[in-house]
Amino acid sequence: MSPTVSAPPTAHPLTPGAPTQAPSVRRVRHHPIVRVTHWINAIALTIMVGSGLRIFNAYPAFARRGETFCCYPFEHREIPASLTFGGWLAGARNWHFAMMWVLVANGFVYLAFIYLHGEWRDLVPRRGVVRDSFEMVKFYLGRRKDHPIQGKHNALQRTAYFAMPIVGLMAVVTGVAIWKPVELAPLTNLLGGYVWARYWHFWAMLLLVALTAVHVFMVFTVDPYSIPSMFTGSYREDLSPEARNARPFRHLLPRKRARPTIP
Amino acid sequence: MSKLSHPAERLGLDRRRFLELAAGSLGATLLAACDSMGPRSAQGLLKFAESKNETLERALFSHRSMDAPPAGATAAGQHFPSYFVSDQVPVWDETMRGVWRLEVGGMVRRPLRLSLADLAALPRVGYKLDHYCVEGWTAVATRTGVRLSDIANLAGVAPGARYVDFASFDQGYHESWDIESATHPQTLIVYAQDGHYLNAAWGAPARVYSPVKLGYKNTKYLTSITFMPARNGGYWSDRGYEWYGGV
Repeated sequence: MSPTVSAPPTAHPLTPGAPTQAPSVRRVRHHPIVRVTHWINAIALTIMVGSGLRIFNAYPAFARRGETFCCYPFEHREIPASLTFGGWLAGARNWHFAMMWVLVANGFVYLAFIYLHGEWRDLVPRRGVVRDSFEMVKFYLGRRKDHPIQGKHNALQRTAYFAMPIVGLMAVVTGVAIWKPVELAPLTNLLGGYVWARYWHFWAMLLLVALTAVHVFMVFTVDPYSIPSMFTGSYREDLSPEARNARPFRHLLPRKRARPTIP
Repeated sequence: MSKLSHPAERLGLDRRRFLELAAGSLGATLLAACDSMGPRSAQGLLKFAESKNETLERALFSHRSMDAPPAGATAAGQHFPSYFVSDQVPVWDETMRGVWRLEVGGMVRRPLRLSLADLAALPRVGYKLDHYCVEGWTAVATRTGVRLSDIANLAGVAPGARYVDFASFDQGYHESWDIESATHPQTLIVYAQDGHYLNAAWGAPARVYSPVKLGYKNTKYLTSITFMPARNGGYWSDRGYEWYGGV
């Protein structure tokens, strides 16, 4: 048995070859706490990234004055203002230092909830996650015909959703280090000093943006039916990507009926 | 469970319409957010967050936390930015204003008027320190001067003084501090940088400097130090920047 196969919560009537009719299987996919924290997170992260980029634009470089910095090719080039939030440096800082508490509190509620409620089991990587991720990539690239069997999430989703809070924690720790480089000097020094801590904070932002961009892309091109479920919680299992054998832009429409079987 | 009608359907929306509405409203929100100050109504919340942050920053603050630039850090030297709010570099004109003196007053038993020679005669300390600018850059310089705590002892600060204002001859530029930060061992009245008396671009004849405060809190072109029972804002603090500005 493949390690990715969790006991399916329901039968998947439309997996290829399944001989059943196609009943509309509605399930509560996301607990209200998960839905609320998801959208608070989306708003808070957008404001944190926008205001952070506005702050960055006040000095769009990493080098200490009178030095050069090895590892950022775009020193002194500003981020387009249309991607920023806060209007000016003080405005952006005020938003950044207020919204950070929303982000931290929201993250804490989310993590506490999935720990206490057991949802973490759908999110931690399992044995064989590398191989299963590779199978998903093969499927998405058309090198494999049928969607790998999965539980609530596929192996790539598991990895991404598991990485998100870790990168979030990295953003918080590096952020605290550049907020208080004197009062919390041991932390800042652990990250290589102020200049490097600021660089790692920038990278945490890049990773969060990258994970979010891929997530949003996949939602719209593979599983748009999951969007309502993030508002109402209700999800039709018979429209899942696994049931539709969906890859980006392919098999977006639900299958009309189950494949006829030969008695 | 399978009888549950979809809430969007109950609202008379089919899936396509729902997706259009969701995407449209999200897009409108994002567009409205671009390079804006955000909703006006949020300003009260931002002020509230600032006051809570100040409480936390004061709790984190310690006279034992010291700044120490990395061993390999290069001093900024001539790359150290100059900054002032006047139209041109503020210079103390002795023919117009007489000899420069630093006034130490407010809630003190012995008000002082210190000349540059008086300052130089006081116990001298020099530290290689980071300068943390609110913009995000740092610069390393050796700051030489007198500990503000020494000057405070000399003047005999009254027990009720909780704040200190640093005023300048740079077009009314000033910033007030909490007295705990002002008496930090690395808070100095600086008259020399990198081994030379300050030049006009760096705040001559004297300035306050401390690594525990962001650059804008460190008034240059200093004329007076006033011990006070209450804060009185500051040039940038009154214009939207955080008053505490701790590092």
